[in-house]
Amino acid sequence: MTLAHKTPQVTLEPAFTPEGGKLLPQPLRHLRDIRSKALTEMVLPNRRTENWKYSSKYLKLDESLAPLTQGSGMAVGRAVEGAYRVVIRNGVVDRESSVLPDQKGVEIQRFTDLDEVTAQSVARKLDTVIDNSTTQIAALNTARIEDGLLIRVAPDTSVDHPIYVQCVTDAQQSGSNYPRVLVEAGNGSKMTLVEEYLCEGDEPVLVDAVTEMTLDSNANVTYIRLCMEPDNVRHVGATGVRMADGANLDSHAIGFGGDLRRHDLQVRLEGENGFARLNGIALTQNRQHFDNHTAIEHVVPHCDSEETYRCLAGDKSHAVFNGRIHIHKDAQQSHADMNNKNLLLSTNAEIDTKPELEIYADDVTCTHGATVGQLDETALFYLMARGVDRQTAASMLSMAFVHELVGQVPLEDVREVVDVRLNQFIEASFKETNA
Amino acid sequence: MAEAQRTGTYLQRFPGSSTPPAEGTESEQLKIIELEESTQMLTIKNLHATVEGTPILKGIDLEIKPGEVHAVMGPNGSGKSTLAQVLAGHEAFEVTEGEVLFDGQNLLDLEVEERALAGLFLAFQYPVEIPGVSNLQFLRTALNTRRKANGQDELDSVSFMKLAKEKAKQVDMSPDFLKRGVNEGFSGGEKKRNEILQMLMLEPRLGILDETDSGLDIDALKVIANGVNSMRSDDRSFIVVTHYQRLLEHIVPDVVHVLAGGKIIKTGGKELALELEEHGYTGLGIDDAEATG
Ligand SMILES: Nc1ncnc2c1ncn2[C@@H]1O[C@H](COP(=O)(O)OP(=O)(O)OP(=O)(O)O)[C@@H](O)[C@H]1O
Ligand SMILES: [Mg+2]
Repeated sequence: MTLAHKTPQVTLEPAFTPEGGKLLPQPLRHLRDIRSKALTEMVLPNRRTENWKYSSKYLKLDESLAPLTQGSGMAVGRAVEGAYRVVIRNGVVDRESSVLPDQKGVEIQRFTDLDEVTAQSVARKLDTVIDNSTTQIAALNTARIEDGLLIRVAPDTSVDHPIYVQCVTDAQQSGSNYPRVLVEAGNGSKMTLVEEYLCEGDEPVLVDAVTEMTLDSNANVTYIRLCMEPDNVRHVGATGVRMADGANLDSHAIGFGGDLRRHDLQVRLEGENGFARLNGIALTQNRQHFDNHTAIEHVVPHCDSEETYRCLAGDKSHAVFNGRIHIHKDAQQSHADMNNKNLLLSTNAEIDTKPELEIYADDVTCTHGATVGQLDETALFYLMARGVDRQTAASMLSMAFVHELVGQVPLEDVREVVDVRLNQFIEASFKETNA
Repeated sequence: MAEAQRTGTYLQRFPGSSTPPAEGTESEQLKIIELEESTQMLTIKNLHATVEGTPILKGIDLEIKPGEVHAVMGPNGSGKSTLAQVLAGHEAFEVTEGEVLFDGQNLLDLEVEERALAGLFLAFQYPVEIPGVSNLQFLRTALNTRRKANGQDELDSVSFMKLAKEKAKQVDMSPDFLKRGVNEGFSGGEKKRNEILQMLMLEPRLGILDETDSGLDIDALKVIANGVNSMRSDDRSFIVVTHYQRLLEHIVPDVVHVLAGGKIIKTGGKELALELEEHGYTGLGIDDAEATG
């Protein structure tokens, strides 16, 4: 038994408190217990964990493992027009702030409200979409859940509005919370899920957020994940998606940096003719840290994946991208494109990018490209030769670099929210450099 | 320096007018009188420039009065674009000797964007593609920055759109190009039109056209020449860099210079361009070694 942390027994202790998860239905409480006990056997990310080598030092599990309670009720997230909204505060679904659909075939329930039968099936499903062996952080989530959200869309049902899940951390005191979402999209169903991570309060907190989705045949899911929390949040999250034949995933993971940001996105194409688009934007400044790990598994033939991640890193920040594409032996006629472009806004920023391709089928097309560069001096000169000062020119070019991907987000409301933050980010990035 | 800048501003604010503002201190009026004595818009004296230590410009002298069009011709690699880029302020070139006065200001002391705001415009030989920045956004930022520098109000989006469409029409460019990324995927000729569109919008005091005619079909050449001619006035000047007499049939120059080996080796009237067309540079007694320095 290897224990990564100096004093793991002590730090993990709160997981074993009898009160933990006491509102969960029996099958889920049982699963939680099993995972809690397994934690002592598990190696949590540390310096020697290969896929955490850049990020483990920011985890600081000891300081913040005490789970936060529901909080003062101040933090409610923002209102969205023409959409459904579920607020998860400190890992617990807040029914009062939520606006839920009353549509046939759309079922949204909190874990703590599930009947025995449904809870049984949810318990069987959790941790089967995400690969726990590489995503320790998801196992930690299951060991700590207090509540969770089940979204089920019946076959051939189109959810009539996007569903916003706002995970708000109430950081009046330091601690951790564990939002959990399970999505089951039935055959031929269609939905848009927006996960928005927010925080109010400025104590140091850890947010460990896990979402698992299964897309049945021809299901079509747009998934937008917005990491909008301030610096004091150390956000580690994982999203797992399993896709049956003809399913379509359109994923947009957009995040602003903080003390720690980590997102693992795992997509398994398990049925023929599936298509997954993975877009991502990471923005870091000051001493922020952002680590995106994606993995696309082409398990069967005739699936396509298209991945585009971009990152802007300023000041002394550090951004990491690791993109794995695994084309299994039988997955002939797979098409996989992966592209990661990074722009350093300062000479002190650091970007590490690593494509990892494992291809075992011979009849596939797979392209990948990763670049780390600086602002193009030729373009800067061209703009300045028209009277635009260097700072404005640099802002325009940086904005252009990521804006193409913002433009691909299919919800106007989200584009606006992102644009506001993006403008602030760009403004702050170029404030001092010109002085 | 500060004084020169201020007197320079007077001329920009009241282009073509020799009447100074009614009020003004005695010293301000004195400066205006000084300016009136110097009738040049651009004065280049003994300009030397190097790139990565290699001398390219080896003593250029040139004087341009308001309203004049000067053509600059010369063999490939003789330093024409270098001269244009040095005037615009490109950092790759180091000025090692000489001075440049633009409306009385020491041009070489100004930043790239300050030169543009003072009224200098370079139409690039190779316009740069900037994906993600729309032509409209680019034009609007540039125009409003220039207006602000001139003490004018920024244009609101409606008036701006109207102006942009009108000018685009003048260079025979579909408004669709305004929405695209700056020069993104534009053909060679479309890029050149876009340069002229920018010039029409920004209304510079001095337009430097670096081979704007290269790669243009005959109709496009006329469109561009008409654009330039529509801007000719008593207080606006042009430097037209070209290899072909053809352009100069449409934009008739007052003076033609031949640049070879980093120096102006011959200056004449518009007939000099015809002479070059007939006899080539060798007819002028320039051998290759001299041409490339
Ligand atoms: N950035 C640079 N680095 C190195 N050499 C340069 C650079 N820019 C220009 N040169 C050199 O300076 C010389 C003059 O180039 P310039 O572009 O000014 O010529 P030109 O007269 O405009 O030629 P053309 O008619 O072909 O456009 C050439 O020998 C060129 O190779
Ligand atoms: Mg040239």
